[in-house]
Amino acid sequence: MSPITKDSFIELNARERVKAVLDEGTFQELLGPFDGLESPHLPPQGIVPQSDDGVVIGRGQIDGEEAVVISIEGSFQGGGIGEVSGAKIAGSLELALRDNKKGIKTLPVMLFDTGGVRLQEANYGLLAISEIMAAVIALRQHVPVVGVIPGNVGCFGGMSITAALFSHLIMTKGARFGLNGPEVIEQEAGIEEFDSSDRPLIWGTIGGTQRYSTGFVDELVDDDVTEIRKVIHQAFLGKGKEINKTEQVDFYHHFLSQIDPSKPIDSQTIRELWKQARNADIPKQVDIHSLPELDMPNSRGRAWFKSLSGIADPKGDIPSVLYGDSILGKEHVRYISVVPNPYNRFPRARQGEVGLDEGWAIAKCVRDAVEKDKNGDPRAIVAIVDVPSQAYGYREELLGIHFALAAAVDAYSTARLAGHPVISLIVGNAISGAFLAHGYQSNRILALNDDGVNVHAMSKQSAARITRRSIRDLEEATRKVPAMAYDVTSYSLLGALYELIDGIEADTPGEQDIQTIKNKLTDAIADTRSDPPDLSNRLLTKEAINGGRTASIKTRKLLEQQWNSIHMIYSS
Amino acid sequence: METLTFEYRATRTIHQRSHVGVVGSGDLEVLLEPSSNGQAQITIRTGSEGFGDAWKAVLDRFFLVNDIAAKVTINDFGATPGVVNLRLAQALEVSQDVPHHQR
Repeated sequence: MSPITKDSFIELNARERVKAVLDEGTFQELLGPFDGLESPHLPPQGIVPQSDDGVVIGRGQIDGEEAVVISIEGSFQGGGIGEVSGAKIAGSLELALRDNKKGIKTLPVMLFDTGGVRLQEANYGLLAISEIMAAVIALRQHVPVVGVIPGNVGCFGGMSITAALFSHLIMTKGARFGLNGPEVIEQEAGIEEFDSSDRPLIWGTIGGTQRYSTGFVDELVDDDVTEIRKVIHQAFLGKGKEINKTEQVDFYHHFLSQIDPSKPIDSQTIRELWKQARNADIPKQVDIHSLPELDMPNSRGRAWFKSLSGIADPKGDIPSVLYGDSILGKEHVRYISVVPNPYNRFPRARQGEVGLDEGWAIAKCVRDAVEKDKNGDPRAIVAIVDVPSQAYGYREELLGIHFALAAAVDAYSTARLAGHPVISLIVGNAISGAFLAHGYQSNRILALNDDGVNVHAMSKQSAARITRRSIRDLEEATRKVPAMAYDVTSYSLLGALYELIDGIEADTPGEQDIQTIKNKLTDAIADTRSDPPDLSNRLLTKEAINGGRTASIKTRKLLEQQWNSIHMIYSS
Repeated sequence: METLTFEYRATRTIHQRSHVGVVGSGDLEVLLEPSSNGQAQITIRTGSEGFGDAWKAVLDRFFLVNDIAAKVTINDFGATPGVVNLRLAQALEVSQDVPHHQR
């Protein structure tokens, strides 16, 4: 076929893309432009909303089989995920899960074109993404979940972590796929770390060809409707698909151990290294050549880990991820905490950020607990959360930090689905991708009511730069939209917290503080035992119902009605 | 953000509702719905404030030629008058297609 006769997929808008993927004449839109579900949070900030909130949900057929295609409109607010658009995505994946569980096979496809969390709705976006991830991981057990990253925006932020969880990923050469966008890395880490105007550097790091050559995506396609349709169809035929990348903890652990972050690296070297690692046996014992360990700084994450676990001299496989087991009342508990390591071999992860090694290390210690308990009582897992951010850096992007974070997400979620009560205790910062990876997949989230406890999608400086506002305008906006605020009291209004705990000395907990928290953890663990192993309880709290998640609940409800009425049409 | 409303008397009807465009840079979305009150009622939300006269000029001309009874919702992200006119024409064309029995 000559290139001239190709039909561009990238040039189609979100709705046209859905129609192009589904069998001709089968497209039926759910929650379309006339259903009145736009963002309630944008107009108060002076931003014009879109009638479908930038997400198109299409039911129809793929090769004669029932399907749902979810498509994100990159031209509207950079494809950012807000409360409504996020609920449309999560809700349709939850319904696809329900149907597939019932034996009604429904093929799920997501067409990514997104910068990640919509910063104007910040915590709503982050919360929705955690729910999308939970649904993808549960759905993947029943049917392949297929994703396409066509461009123009590509796939970034929390949604890049989501994409990393997919069974099958398809990408064009013109698309970009990474955790942190080039501008954000430059803002957070400086122009020496990453020059966001250097296009060849960007494409050599996060472009389609590089991602395919290092195994982060399964198929590289031309920008052509026919080819993309064909590759999606093939993905569902599932010809001996290997286990998901985010479950291949030992392989990636071994691959990363081959990297020396003190030396310069480039795209080509990583391609070679990946190929070699792919073809080699994975050694039983992998050592990461770390810098010598000296005194570790104290931090809330470390202090609470020691206090709760009773382990005086905690050690993990790497110094920045502490884990250990102890008894809490009648429960066996594995505590996990990410802590600063000023000697971290990756310089961009020395302040307690969740980086490459940290993501895979969390995955390893969570999966270890799942493996150990598979024939017995699943122990509780408590994530102690004090994470300032994900690591922002060139090496991080090149080596797939979104997959490292997704590995942690996958492990926590897998543990939850296997019946482990998974509880988060926020004692400090819970920011962005770091929180998604470490803490947001929990059945219950507890937080200390303290000035040093912050929950957010991005630092104020970066958020101001990306949304082109001054810090003052940004702070003004947070007064109108609690989901944009950084403090934990505003966050608690969204209903995702099981409990906001007052009167605790967060930096240096005393005996009484520790006992109080132990009691709260015991209650939270007991409370999960009667629950389904999903995240639905977050929509059932008093705060969620009384305004905190109004749009999330309404969107899901209307979506379910429309979804069910489609089945009636087909079966009649 | 600014909200503008316009009304025109109308005699013609449209077959079905239609939706075109996206709220992306230099573009807008238009939602057209049949109305039975003999009027075209237009509500515009735009991020570019202070262009009321320009909107009036474009809409006056469009609804003089196309006197359709419809509820028109416009979400604008800085579209030029030319783009506005084009999107309105597209929305009208889709709304006059023979209705099919899809949702």
